[in-house]
Amino acid sequence: MTWKDSVRIAMAGMWANKLRALLTMLGVIIGVSAVIVLVAIGQGASASVTSRIETLGTNVLFVTPAGGTPFSQNQIAEIQRAVPFPVTAVGIMNTPAKVATLQTTSAAQVIGTDASYIDLGALTMAAGHFLTPTEADQGQHVAVVGANLVASLFNGNSPIGQPIMVMGQQFTVVGVLNPVGQGPGASQDNALFIPMTTAQYLLGTNQLSEIMIKTATPNQADLTDNLLTNWYTNRFGANAVTIASEDQVLQTLQATRATLTELLAGTAAIALIVGGIGIMNIMLVSVTERTREIGIRQALGATREDIVLQFLLEAMAISLTGGVLGIAMGTGLVSLAPLFLKTPVSFSWFAVALAFVFSSAVGLIFGLYPAIKASGLEPIHALRYDG
Amino acid sequence: MIRVESLTKDYLLGSETFRALHTVSFEIPNGMLAAIVGQSGSGKSTLLNILGGLDRPTVGQYWLNGTDVSQLNRDAWAHERNHTLGFVFQSFQLIPTLTAWDNVALPLVYRRIPLKERRLRARQALNDVGLEHRLGHKPAQLSGGQQQRVAIARALIGDPPLLLADEPTGNLDTQTGEEIIALLQNLNQRGHTVVIVTHSPDVAARCRQIIQLRDGRVVSNQISEKSASEVPS
Repeated sequence: MTWKDSVRIAMAGMWANKLRALLTMLGVIIGVSAVIVLVAIGQGASASVTSRIETLGTNVLFVTPAGGTPFSQNQIAEIQRAVPFPVTAVGIMNTPAKVATLQTTSAAQVIGTDASYIDLGALTMAAGHFLTPTEADQGQHVAVVGANLVASLFNGNSPIGQPIMVMGQQFTVVGVLNPVGQGPGASQDNALFIPMTTAQYLLGTNQLSEIMIKTATPNQADLTDNLLTNWYTNRFGANAVTIASEDQVLQTLQATRATLTELLAGTAAIALIVGGIGIMNIMLVSVTERTREIGIRQALGATREDIVLQFLLEAMAISLTGGVLGIAMGTGLVSLAPLFLKTPVSFSWFAVALAFVFSSAVGLIFGLYPAIKASGLEPIHALRYDG
Repeated sequence: MIRVESLTKDYLLGSETFRALHTVSFEIPNGMLAAIVGQSGSGKSTLLNILGGLDRPTVGQYWLNGTDVSQLNRDAWAHERNHTLGFVFQSFQLIPTLTAWDNVALPLVYRRIPLKERRLRARQALNDVGLEHRLGHKPAQLSGGQQQRVAIARALIGDPPLLLADEPTGNLDTQTGEEIIALLQNLNQRGHTVVIVTHSPDVAARCRQIIQLRDGRVVSNQISEKSASEVPS
């Protein structure tokens, strides 16, 4: 039998039992569309996080105090003295607050920091300038706003020089940041940066939320991590601060992402295996029903290979048609996702290819047993079968 | 054409061995119209199945067209059936989901003949049995006689030298049965060796060679001198 004829017979076999084939396909359709949708959601969530971390670089440390540990701006100079190479160290005071213009109000993350924050490389200016040392030293009422705030408070108009109310005080906008996307924690696109001295005055404390340290190389970051752990232990006792490197954050994220991917792959695999069992089941039914047909074909000259091929290709036709329908459905759901989901989705051709390969493999693997069973029938028994 | 030597076929029924054929030997020459007759249970269908390679003898030798086919494996037999043999069964054995046209073309599928040529030849074969107007009908839409004629067209499409017919008139009324036998006779005259298994003396009487079986043994094997053309049809 030629390949063309094998395919033709397989399609005809599927077509002869349309409803049954369609119901059998459902398992594969659901499995394949689940792979595509879940991968799109998983990748959409991690893509923006990763891109943000990559702009920051991997040689950054975050020092956060445990409750009760004194943690003031003075420690920055002490840290820089304790480390034997130059590092950029920036203190941060951080509080959620309402900010307002004359027209409207918005929730924002108010961040008190100083001029060197921009040196960390996490942010870039869209307009105006970042906080200057002079503005910081003098405790001026100036603010640099994130991209989302420009949209929500100023309708996207340039806010440079405009007044803005923060915790009952009037500030002047001096700079606008480029959007950075969702980071670990709150998005900096919702942040409003003010000078540290001003923040200390507004909040009535000089306790920092966090110190960020950037070193020249990742090795120096590791070294600084060790040095500072000792330094803080000597001074305030064990576990006075938590030191996390950007590297660790990235690793945690990647581990989470890998776990997520494995989970999704597992779910999809289960769905596809269930679909495959359905195919095997229906093919066994089909072989039994068509025992006489098999006998007739054998009597007319079908070899074992011809029979195997006929039923194997029919199983694959079911699973591949299911795969194609599943890809269509999955792709459709991904393109509709923005209507239902707030998280971003990222369509992946890789997932489509994976789903396609999987669904054909399912047909091949689960179709093999019924096909071999069919080809092993004795022609004389098959011809006499009363079904 | 056919020569068998000491064919024996045993079946295991539970723990009992049942001997369906008992050292059967005979020859059927090329171009013969032969009947294998006997009562039901005499082993005639078993014999035909062995002649068609659908079943295997327990012991014995079988030469088909001068070749020893006793030891052929399944796929070699499939090839042999496809090229040398045409089957006509009592229950027609058409595939119910296929049209008459596709049923007839089926042997050519396993000869790797392209679709276009298959359809052409199948149309011709159906034409030869007088069913050119039933091409697109499925077996269930055809009468018994028409179904058997489709089956004969299918047996003929590969132009095999040997036709094996197992009670071809068994499921047909007398009139239709007559037509089918006439058709087989006609094919014999056109050069095909035809072997008919039947329990009908009328059918057997129209064949030149009559092999009679009883309880798995050949009890008589006669070749009459009259030629097939002298048989009224």
